[in-house]
Amino acid sequence: MQDMFKILFSVILIDNLVLSRFLGVCSFLGLTKDLKNSMGMSVAVIFVMLVSTAVTYPIYYFLLEPAGLGYLQTVIFILVIAATVQVLEAVIRKVMPPLYDAMGIFLPLITTNCAILGVMLINIQESYSFVNAIMSSLGAGLGYTLAMFLFVGVREKLETSDIPESFKGLPSTLVAASILSVAFMGFGGVIENLFS
Amino acid sequence: MELIVLQSSNILMPALIGGGTALLLGIVIVLVFRFFSVEEDPMVEELNSVLPGVNCGGCGYSGCLGYASALASGEDSNTSKCTAGGLETAEAVALTLGTAPQEYIPQVAYVFCQGSGEYTTKRYEYTGTPNCASATGLFAGPNSCTYGCLGFGDCYDVCEFDAIWIDDGLAHVNSENCTACGKCVIACPKDLISLIPKHELATVNSCRNHWPAAATRKNCKIGCIACRLCIKACPVDAIHMEDNLAVIDQEICIHCGECVKVCPTNSISEGLLKGMAEEKALRAAAKAEKEAEEAAAKAEKEAS
Repeated sequence: MQDMFKILFSVILIDNLVLSRFLGVCSFLGLTKDLKNSMGMSVAVIFVMLVSTAVTYPIYYFLLEPAGLGYLQTVIFILVIAATVQVLEAVIRKVMPPLYDAMGIFLPLITTNCAILGVMLINIQESYSFVNAIMSSLGAGLGYTLAMFLFVGVREKLETSDIPESFKGLPSTLVAASILSVAFMGFGGVIENLFS
Repeated sequence: MELIVLQSSNILMPALIGGGTALLLGIVIVLVFRFFSVEEDPMVEELNSVLPGVNCGGCGYSGCLGYASALASGEDSNTSKCTAGGLETAEAVALTLGTAPQEYIPQVAYVFCQGSGEYTTKRYEYTGTPNCASATGLFAGPNSCTYGCLGFGDCYDVCEFDAIWIDDGLAHVNSENCTACGKCVIACPKDLISLIPKHELATVNSCRNHWPAAATRKNCKIGCIACRLCIKACPVDAIHMEDNLAVIDQEICIHCGECVKVCPTNSISEGLLKGMAEEKALRAAAKAEKEAEEAAAKAEKEAS
């Protein structure tokens, strides 16, 4: 039980998907211009993260591992995640149209999102149990959401500030992201001591 | 021999598992798409191809597809809502739907404020970042009328058609260049810009202040004081009061000009073309002034 929460919080704060592991940076930079888009993307990431963990975890432990094909995990996972997202999209569109309207356009984007694949591979690498793997994925999704929401605020502030011509646009955004990333380093060691 | 068998099984297993997974997933996807397919109106696709596809949102929907599906489902019967495509698109949409083309009324952005430096004063000296959004954050901006135009030109910055010009702390729209894309409408932090039907004699109450008359009089010499004279003068009941502000319904207005005559503060103004003529005169005057200045400087230089 304690293990679960330790994983959950350390993935959210210390090993933050975007700010410490630098996964999913493209969507992080692309979709943080306004709160509405970043919210849709975050919800979609959490959702797909959980579903693809539930799918890839058994595939690894019941198919690849017994056959001694652990090295195929990257290829198979890409395939499985892409297929899962496609299937999900079709099902949601039919069964829950409002949900599809809210996050429909973000689902195809996630198909090739490195954040999802990265978390799947990390779950295997850390040899988590199934419950812990789900927790880790949930935490990764929540951490992504946290980073997105924080950065939307930062960028809104950047919009109205007087930035030198050469720093306008992406340079100032990247500098701000790096400072936010450094700020998250301050969480290092907090969780270990909290749950020890 | 044994080595070859071993090696081939080493390759065969992964190939089978990989290929099998791919095949299985492919079948699952095909089945799911068959069972969960959503039937779409072919009309939507057809209409979408007729629309310009720039997804500007000028029609009031999220994008061209949104407008197309609203038209196809009969939710919206107005075929001339596309501002980017103009008359041609309106006709093409009507043709695709098989309905008679409706009268296409082009729209134009209009600044609902006349409070230039001549009519308003500054409450304090603003030295922050020179844009309206930042200035609004500091006690609603330096302008004496907190509803009025700040003139830092957030609308000017977003306009891609050179249709906005700032003069004496007030934004103006050049209705010739304006394409009614609506970007300035979103950019203005004071919500002063709206799209109105582009009519030569469009009559608008160019004010957005909701103060009672005394406060308006104190802070702006040209603001609407909610005296209701225009409402009484209007022959078609196109004007109504909204929280101390006279609002003219552009769809009912017959451009008779009665309200313009009775308005005591000249808050109601008439005619987009007049604005444009003014603009031309102003630009010419500014140019002449600059030239005269340059000539004077030149003459001075030569004299010395």
